[in-house]
Amino acid sequence: MATPAKRVAPAATRREFLKAAAATGATAAAPYVITSKALGDATTPPASDRIVMGGIGIGNMGSGDQNAFLGMPGVQYVAVCDVRKKWREEGKARADKKYGNGDCAAYVDFRELLARDDIDAVHIATPDHWHAIMTIAACRGGKDVYLQKPETLTLREGPLMVGAARRYGRVVSGGSQRVLGDYRGIVDPCWAGEVGTIKELDISVGGPSLFCALPGLPTPPDIDWELWLGPAPWEPYNPGRCDGNFGTGGNSWRSYSDYSGGSLTDWGAHHFGGAIFAADLRELQPVKVVYHPADGKHGPYVSAEYPNAVAIHHNRPQPLRPGKPSVAHQGAIQIHGDGVKREPKAVPLYRNGAGSIYADFIECVKTREKPFRDIELAVNTMATPHMIAIAYRLERSLEWDRAAQAFKGDEEANRLVDRARREPWII
Amino acid sequence: MAIDPASLDAPFAALAAFDWGGDATTLAPIDAAVVAAHADAGLRADLEKRLAAVLGSQASRAAKQYACRKLSLIGSAGSVPALAALLGDKELSHMARFALERYAAPEATEALRKALGGVEGDLTIGMLSSLAAKRDAASIPAIATLVTGDSAVAAAAAEALGLLASPEAAVVLAGVTTSGAAAEAVVDARLACAEAMVKAGRKADARAIYEALSKAVGDAPTTHRGRAVRMACQRGLFAAMEG
Repeated sequence: MATPAKRVAPAATRREFLKAAAATGATAAAPYVITSKALGDATTPPASDRIVMGGIGIGNMGSGDQNAFLGMPGVQYVAVCDVRKKWREEGKARADKKYGNGDCAAYVDFRELLARDDIDAVHIATPDHWHAIMTIAACRGGKDVYLQKPETLTLREGPLMVGAARRYGRVVSGGSQRVLGDYRGIVDPCWAGEVGTIKELDISVGGPSLFCALPGLPTPPDIDWELWLGPAPWEPYNPGRCDGNFGTGGNSWRSYSDYSGGSLTDWGAHHFGGAIFAADLRELQPVKVVYHPADGKHGPYVSAEYPNAVAIHHNRPQPLRPGKPSVAHQGAIQIHGDGVKREPKAVPLYRNGAGSIYADFIECVKTREKPFRDIELAVNTMATPHMIAIAYRLERSLEWDRAAQAFKGDEEANRLVDRARREPWII
Repeated sequence: MAIDPASLDAPFAALAAFDWGGDATTLAPIDAAVVAAHADAGLRADLEKRLAAVLGSQASRAAKQYACRKLSLIGSAGSVPALAALLGDKELSHMARFALERYAAPEATEALRKALGGVEGDLTIGMLSSLAAKRDAASIPAIATLVTGDSAVAAAAAEALGLLASPEAAVVLAGVTTSGAAAEAVVDARLACAEAMVKAGRKADARAIYEALSKAVGDAPTTHRGRAVRMACQRGLFAAMEG
């Protein structure tokens, strides 16, 4: 097949391009973050007085997210979407109560909500197997996205989501409210240089998700089971598969590998997120995950090694004892430095004094800045527990090539970088 | 620790009778053997043969799906025929792809290519998805024939070409006639192709795509989608510029 004919465009330079954009009244752009204004997007409404929002996946965390946005000045909440009638109706009722009307629309199919052009931004809190598809679809529709953690279910999804966000200039925030909200006690001393050069981190959190063999039961009329499953393998309805409680002990979608990474990525998104943030590793991904077999006294554990020689140990049996020069958070996170005081660095907080991750997102929707848990940082963070899960599953150590987004010399491990999606879903 | 294949007779008997609601712990020895097979070619071949046999048996859908999951980790060309036979089966097509999409063996890709022309509707989208995930450039001519009109298949075919993001895919996308959701998918795919061209240093080709799409969307689009596409073009043009 022929390749496209070369077409020579005017030899404009980037400098000239931005100069022309600036002539339209746009502000100068930072070299890395090119805002819509910098590119002369005069058609985008100005830093809006009103962000019109909708929510997809409106039970449990979705309801919490909805309440957060509903309570925010400048947000007009107009639509909810859920495949479960109860949550759909409850979500609509919350919005209607807030505004004293019956105007909030309720959808079963997220594509109908995303098709509404009056909606500027969405929050997504479905089970994990939907996150990538919905986020990419929202970006293509020109909507900004607040996405509950864990943002990804597979390693391949991450770059696709980042690519969609960057391509369309969308603000996409990950959704761990705890990273900055709960862990300042370990973040601040690390960024202040008091711990010294960080060498090791210990994370204590549950393990990967499981295979589900629950029996099939009659599908109740108040759930669209096909749409709940979406890209996941078809399995018969059972409330234990889809109930949205927060457990991972075998009675929640969070327990099962078709829908979730288990505790390792659920609470792990918080704990790994906090530790990785404290140690300033958010721009990096591990180069290696080392599988430590059970030794007769303790079960196996896995260590993720970063290119700067920092190691994160998951459930190491005998972590170093906390105490100077280490810091710890409730036994879930321990961070160990060399104790040689370093130059302090300013902790990157929510934008412009925003008081929560939700406010940070809304602020960035207005300013077009990258949010605190920008999707790329979230993807990097989640890559660590995903790789750890693969090492547990294969019971061996693995090396990761970040540029290739592949494991080095391990064809079986590379089979676990992604999974086929059930038709008709494709990303 | 070496695993005696005979020790798997009982677990495979349990698999033959397995269904949803059954005791998955009876299958645990198979799970362990699949992991151990990494260092035991003989065990791997034996497992693959047994798992493929389940696919052609009277076992339940649940048992066959389990077999596909395990084959997805250790399968090779040897089990492609058993999986390919399921690609046209509405119940098991996805799980057959679940395995085949992960196979490195070229026979797996060939089976998906062949099925692309032999299935319909959503199953066609499934083949497109897996061929795109496998970055199978050889399937572009077949995919090209599907990018027409306003069907879900046409949209998925465009999506697949965007995932392939090659110059050949860009040529196809530049010449298609679509509408509705398929037309939107074509735009997304052309943007993906242009990004790949920028990365490959083919900046003039990329600029041509960005300029064409920018012209189509106009200077003042009135929808979020239109503004996002314009934004993508502006960003792309910036990236495709010299200096």
